[in-house]
Amino acid sequence: MYALRNMLGKMSLHRSVKGIRKGKPVPIVTIDGCKVRVKKDATVLDAAKKAGVWIPTLCHHPAISCDAVCRLCMVELDRGDWRQLITACNYPVRRDIVVYVSSEGAKQARRGVMELLLARAPESQELKVLAESMGVKETRYPNVTESQRNCILCGLCVRICEEIIGQAAIGFAGRGVDRTVAAPFRQPSDDCIGCGVCAAVCPVGTIKVRIHQDQQEVEISPFKSRAKLLVCEKCGAPIISTQVSERVLGKVETMSSEEFRQCIRLCPKCRKLQTAVRLQATKIYNKE
Amino acid sequence: MIEFGKRRLNNPEVLERVRDELQRQFNSSSKVVRVCTGPGCAAKGASRIYELFCEAVSQHSIEVEVTTKVVGCHGLCECGPIVIVQPGEIFYQRVEEPDVPEIFRETVLGGRVVQRLLYEVPSTGKKAKKANEIPFYNTQERIALAYNGLIDPTSIEDYIAAGGYKALPKALTMMSPEDIIAEVERAGLRGRGGGGFPTARKWRSCREAKGFPKYVICNGDEGDPGAFMDRAIMEGNPHAVLEGMTIGAYAIGSSQGYIYVRNEYPLSVERLRGSIEEAREWGLLGERILGHSFSFDIKINRGGGAFVCGESTALMASLEGRPGEPRAKYIHTVESGLREKPTNLNNVETWANIPAIINRGGEWFAGIGTEKSKGTKVFSLVGTVVNTGLVEVPMGITLRRIINEIGGGIRDGKRFKAVQTGGPSGGCIPTEHLDARVDFDELTKLGSMMGSGGMIVMDEDTCMVKVAKYFTDFLQKESCGKCTPCREGLSQMLHILERITKGEGEVDEVEKLEQLADLLAGTALCALGKTAANPIISTIRYFRDEYDAHILDRRCPAKECRGLFLYEIDAEACKACGICLKNCPEDAITGEKKIPHVIDQKKCTLCGTCWEKCPFTAVLKV
Repeated sequence: MYALRNMLGKMSLHRSVKGIRKGKPVPIVTIDGCKVRVKKDATVLDAAKKAGVWIPTLCHHPAISCDAVCRLCMVELDRGDWRQLITACNYPVRRDIVVYVSSEGAKQARRGVMELLLARAPESQELKVLAESMGVKETRYPNVTESQRNCILCGLCVRICEEIIGQAAIGFAGRGVDRTVAAPFRQPSDDCIGCGVCAAVCPVGTIKVRIHQDQQEVEISPFKSRAKLLVCEKCGAPIISTQVSERVLGKVETMSSEEFRQCIRLCPKCRKLQTAVRLQATKIYNKE
Repeated sequence: MIEFGKRRLNNPEVLERVRDELQRQFNSSSKVVRVCTGPGCAAKGASRIYELFCEAVSQHSIEVEVTTKVVGCHGLCECGPIVIVQPGEIFYQRVEEPDVPEIFRETVLGGRVVQRLLYEVPSTGKKAKKANEIPFYNTQERIALAYNGLIDPTSIEDYIAAGGYKALPKALTMMSPEDIIAEVERAGLRGRGGGGFPTARKWRSCREAKGFPKYVICNGDEGDPGAFMDRAIMEGNPHAVLEGMTIGAYAIGSSQGYIYVRNEYPLSVERLRGSIEEAREWGLLGERILGHSFSFDIKINRGGGAFVCGESTALMASLEGRPGEPRAKYIHTVESGLREKPTNLNNVETWANIPAIINRGGEWFAGIGTEKSKGTKVFSLVGTVVNTGLVEVPMGITLRRIINEIGGGIRDGKRFKAVQTGGPSGGCIPTEHLDARVDFDELTKLGSMMGSGGMIVMDEDTCMVKVAKYFTDFLQKESCGKCTPCREGLSQMLHILERITKGEGEVDEVEKLEQLADLLAGTALCALGKTAANPIISTIRYFRDEYDAHILDRRCPAKECRGLFLYEIDAEACKACGICLKNCPEDAITGEKKIPHVIDQKKCTLCGTCWEKCPFTAVLKV
């Protein structure tokens, strides 16, 4: 899972490295008085990161498209005689702008959204931690829906499954307060490969990867999708779903290394042991 | 008759010649019976009346030449079905099947007026022979609805003979795209879909936007409860919309248009489809329009029933085949809209105003209305007014005149309480602001909005908390659920309102509602969410006492919220008939013959059966 996270991080880095075109004016963003230059069409959130100003986000992930649905990253944009609340994650910087992150209006908006989210997902520890860091201790609102408890419907799982994994195994069903994330017909999905990336990006810890040792299966809850697990040939520990391993092997086909294929049949622990054994057998190791 | 449809018109002069010929033909058969088949009249059996007239005509065809026509909505739906007989433009209302032979014999053949079918002006008691003698009509000023009720919407010949497709050749041959935009700018036309954004500015931004192809869209996804303005135009005069769109497309530089109509309007879809087909045959749509190098075509897309698809970005997502959900509009749709191409979207009524502006000039249009809101606006006037229906009034008219003069005041002699404008996201305007002038900015100042033109009049028996609850419930159900404030905020607000109307409200809950409303207005993703709290905010602003009565006294002043009032029997009015007694499911009513009955409040479950059943209205709500 961590490897995947790193991979996603690198992809986003690659995206933002594109240079600033010569001769074009670079817009200046003033965030809480701190001036930073960003390339045109960068977002206010990019600028804030550059300025070292923290803006809480939930539905934003650098590797995938931005939908601005959680509305947690509200900041105030100076419009001269009035201030407009905007979402930092997708507001494109096209000219010099002045934004306020820690103004009372912006804080109040973010806290208001957070209170609504807390009412929706009262059991999420992750959300509570984020709320506390924003100064929200509790919510004044009751939980008014039983539809998909503890899911804040940020849609990260849906987007990552479609955009990065390319499976689109889950999507949104229903509308309004009854909106849920589900596989078609709310049945376990045939398209799910059990990679668990949805669980990895879930910011409130609602999506979970469950390992069923006895059946050698992985289950993605709450979608009930199951996939066969590849187990370590030596110790029997679960490694990864068979479909994911097939995909990975498909990608490294050019290497056609039988050794690599062997490698993936072992769990990381056994692989380490195997390497150690092999190293021991080499001459260099024996000399020392 | 000459078959014109067989050939394409290759230049504007031919169109003019054809128009002259058509007008000559239509004038020769001077006897015309026009039967309104708008939604209201159709519901009362207008199509059968039309058939009966056709039969009557076919039986007498040797003696006289009479044309029968199906026409679009006249507006006075309350008095439907409406039949107008030419010559004399005699206006018959509430026509029923047995009246058809009489009208045909007396008026069509004999030229005499059937007095009992005429409209009686309530204030004077006089019978009105023509539509313009009726106060409902003579206060109105019709531009978008000008041809409604006059022409047969299924016939392009009728539209051309009435002066349609005059603006298009003028725009193509005598004006440059910039000229057209400048003319619309002079007119001061603002978007009729609700936002009131200056149309010319939108067109110019789209024209100047980089990207190809460009699209124009007509938004016919009219979803407000009780609103049927766009429907009346699409069904009553579809060619005006097509002509407006074609002119707009020429000005913007687009060659593909879409009309997004909700699927619940099958007749609109049918009429538009037929009109597009006709316009193509005539060379007024498609390749090389009227022999000009400009080509433009229109496709119809049907909506799937989601209210939010009336929002421009959601509509475009739906057009692309994705779920109809809005997106952030930090980059405007004129820059990146449908398929990420420059897209200009206007409402049906906006498009229908364009031909008139091109024909008669922007200055003429700007001469009507107020300083910042020009022209006219169509409203669907519904609720507890005497004359419900479709009205088109000049901007700047007061609400009082619309309700009292056109609407004929409140029904059953009740007192006016509030008028709700702007659809579900609009607000309620109370008596003290009845003299407010109807324009975009004035209504916004009052906490309501122009919206697409719904106008719901409410009398003294309406509970304003319940009204707020009704609209919040509607919006909560129609919220797409994409963004947090709209999805969660609306259900929280509905939860509070439900508690208040049940008498379980707490003291701080009005403040809670206000805070949530503020949050929604600031943080929601699209206009649906941003304006969703308007009904709540405006009712709190003008009817705070009703909220307080519900919360503090556990009492509903309008006596609409069950459980927050009691039923009592008026001893004087009670005739001791025993009907309430027999019908009470809880045996809570006691009484004997000749002795007024009494409700035992301890047993009463407030079901309201006695109130409904009492033939002497002796059961009172207290």
